[in-house]
Amino acid sequence: MSVIPAPVAGLPWRIMALTSALACFAGVVLYSAAGGSMTPWAGMHLIRFVIFLVMALVISRFDEDFIKSLSFPGYAGVALLLLFVEVVGQVKGGSQRWISLGAFNLQPSELMKIAIVLALARFYAMLPAGETTRFAAVWPALVLIGIPSALVLLQPDLGTTLAIVASGVIVMFIAGLPLRYFLGAAGAGAAAAPILFSMLHDYQQKRILIFLTPEADPLGSGYHIVQSKIAIGSGGLFGKGFLNGTQSHLQYLPEGHTDFVFATMAEEWGLFGGLMLLLGFFLLLRWATGVALRAQTKFGRYTAAGLTMTIFFYVAINLMMVMGLAPVVGIPLPFMSYGGSSMMTIMICIGIILSIDRKARRGHSGMSGLS
Amino acid sequence: MTTLVARPDRVRLAGQRQRAMMTAHQRLMILMLLFIVAIIVIGGRTLAFAFIDDAHGSGRGGSAMIPARADIVDRNGVPLARTIDAYSLRVVPSRLMNDPRRLAADLAAIFPDTSADTFYAKITGKNPTLLRRRALPEEVAAVNALGEVGFEYPRVKERLYPQHTLAAHVLGFTGADHRGVIGVEKAFDERLSDPALRGEPLVLSIDSRVQATLESELYTAMVNLEAQGAAGIVLDVSSGEVLGMASLPVFNPNKIVSGSNAARKNAVTYNLYELGSTFKPLTIGKAMDIGVVTSMSRRYDATKPLKVGRFAIHDSHNMGRWLNVPETLIHSSNVVTAQIADEMGQAPLEQLFRSLGFDNRPQIELKERAFPLWPRSWGRLTTMTTSYGHGIAVTPLHLASAYGALVNGGTFYPATLLKTERGRQPAGKRVFSEATSARMRQLLRMIVVDGTGTKADAPGFRVGGKTGSAEKPSAGGYAHHSLVSTFVAAFPMDNPRYVVLAMIDEPKGNAYSSGQRTAGWTAAPVVRNVVMRIGPMLGIIPDQNRDVDLSDLEPLLWKPKGEN
Repeated sequence: MSVIPAPVAGLPWRIMALTSALACFAGVVLYSAAGGSMTPWAGMHLIRFVIFLVMALVISRFDEDFIKSLSFPGYAGVALLLLFVEVVGQVKGGSQRWISLGAFNLQPSELMKIAIVLALARFYAMLPAGETTRFAAVWPALVLIGIPSALVLLQPDLGTTLAIVASGVIVMFIAGLPLRYFLGAAGAGAAAAPILFSMLHDYQQKRILIFLTPEADPLGSGYHIVQSKIAIGSGGLFGKGFLNGTQSHLQYLPEGHTDFVFATMAEEWGLFGGLMLLLGFFLLLRWATGVALRAQTKFGRYTAAGLTMTIFFYVAINLMMVMGLAPVVGIPLPFMSYGGSSMMTIMICIGIILSIDRKARRGHSGMSGLS
Repeated sequence: MTTLVARPDRVRLAGQRQRAMMTAHQRLMILMLLFIVAIIVIGGRTLAFAFIDDAHGSGRGGSAMIPARADIVDRNGVPLARTIDAYSLRVVPSRLMNDPRRLAADLAAIFPDTSADTFYAKITGKNPTLLRRRALPEEVAAVNALGEVGFEYPRVKERLYPQHTLAAHVLGFTGADHRGVIGVEKAFDERLSDPALRGEPLVLSIDSRVQATLESELYTAMVNLEAQGAAGIVLDVSSGEVLGMASLPVFNPNKIVSGSNAARKNAVTYNLYELGSTFKPLTIGKAMDIGVVTSMSRRYDATKPLKVGRFAIHDSHNMGRWLNVPETLIHSSNVVTAQIADEMGQAPLEQLFRSLGFDNRPQIELKERAFPLWPRSWGRLTTMTTSYGHGIAVTPLHLASAYGALVNGGTFYPATLLKTERGRQPAGKRVFSEATSARMRQLLRMIVVDGTGTKADAPGFRVGGKTGSAEKPSAGGYAHHSLVSTFVAAFPMDNPRYVVLAMIDEPKGNAYSSGQRTAGWTAAPVVRNVVMRIGPMLGIIPDQNRDVDLSDLEPLLWKPKGEN
């Protein structure tokens, strides 16, 4: 039928193009952030992206049932790793979040963002329809979320804790738990916020206070946000031009290549660049949500929704942080920020969603063939 | 379909499954809505940043791009003074979370010039204190990496002079209140701090390349001649723009605390000198203008000192013969110049000096301008001594501006430190006639070709100028061994564009100047070197085949028999 062989045509070209475009744009921004150099960031970033893209494509060939069978053991394994870093950290003193694997440092808390979604999706897929309103549908999920959250909060890593909770809650939400549970929890959370606040680390408290009034202390700790706003604001409509950003090149902007990469980008590419990037993320999220809607199995639907939320959480919290709409919690921007762990997480998410998408399409075509 | 034969409980289950799927779809749509809302919120915020200075209305976002004080740049846009947000490092001891011993050791590793004990004393004190008044961004980043919440990094406005000591006397500096103290910073303080104007840099007439050349050549000469100081100017003769103004020794405007006070004095505008023989061309020019000197070939008696009452005027080298006008200038004869001035009388000379502004502070924007030592009464003797630059003390800038008028066709322009667009220079004031100016260009060129200024002859640049070696007035008379050697020149003499003045304060006659202290051996070589370096930068191409036409004057020079 076509000159393109079926295995090649069957590749998810649209998603590959979209993610590649985002990663290449990141390469350009990181090239500029390094003062016009492929080292130390841009080159490594692109190499990592290619490796993880291949990994995502491999995962996309896995069968959904295979992924499903891995979900509980995977969750248990990652939870043990989390416990392991906690113990090692206690022994060595100070906070440690990763296990050194030689080639790179593995952060179990990153893997937990995926493991929690798979485990909860498996749990709710097992649950017969109609059971979801019972309390028996709630407490196991709370335990599944609670254990890793507690371990990550101890590290202490507030951002990742929130990401794990958010992804987990979204799976519960999609699984059809009564709305009153969520509203009740939100109310209780609001009431408990002051108590939780007092339990946070000093520097975490400081960051949240600064988020509420960044301009009160622009020279001290509100510095991140103020400099970031200046960078974004000074970009104007079309930016100062490639390699012309001053905030990042003069090192006024801290973390201009990792968490605050959006500010670096916006200074040089302006409003136009910012909106194009937002459009890119929106297309990705729309596709991922679409996969959840198309999914034929409960496990597929819940997994796709939860992983979409994981990606969304990265994007939304990072952008809101950079713009002063959320506290500085140290969450990278998918595809854009320099760093291996977060890119691996995102690409595993993409790989699993692709696998669900494949199954959904096969199921569709099979059914349409029948009728 | 299949449900037709299903049992009732299976129907119920299927219905529930259907409902659960619908719920899931509904909730997925809600999720999608959440995504859209978040994207819109973030997009809207980006829009707000792009179009509004600051979404919080504190004005910081946009105003951060407008400096607290205007930048100063040279005529080509090279930054000479900027205001930056510098960091300082502060400690709040009550908030410290880490072991002070360890912190002190870490700080000492970052700032090796301060000992760990000093830091320890400061961070264990009671009250918040500044650890460093200024810290570099890298240093602040290193301190921040220590992860101590007790450290703060307040930003402070700092006036920075990126070219270090370059043009320090022109620029001046600002005080702790960010107001100008001396120099351009003082003279244009209003303009520099005006919120409406400070977004635009103040463009000076200074060319930093010319300035650097002038400073480096003067410094070389000053060191080699073991002189007390040196000064120099490069002036555009057709607009009065100052391209370079140097006063040595220099100071560093970035570090005003450590520098000596004397070095901050701008010798070009604030020091008075009896500039001696450099006045002779001005006197003779005026005499030509009013018809006292009508012929270049007229000879004057220079065989013996000129007696005026009890006073006698000497030549440093008695030629022992009668001299015509070109010879007078070439050999720099006081005796003949005094005779010409005497013949001209007091009124025209005084009028000339007044029209050149010698009776008032030099005309330039700076505030540091000295009032000349103007003769109290103009007797016959005053007329004769001032004609060769004695008994009157002016600043080097006075002289440079006067020479500009002498060579540019006779029009006097006040000196300015601001860049002037071509054709927009102020209307000048006629001081000499065109004809006198043209003749003077020949005569000044002759001094360099055949006279005391041969060491200023930069090949191909057609330099013309006059030496002046005046004894320094000291208590009760003249100190015969301390000279102020000046060479004031213009180039290219066939169509003068720039005046270059070099002055060496008390040069020693050493091997470098072949044992000589006079301007021809000390200041003239500086002018040659400066011209050879700045000429090409200013677009003047050296041409050995072009020169001022001296053919009508050459035959007037006396030469030993057999040479011509």
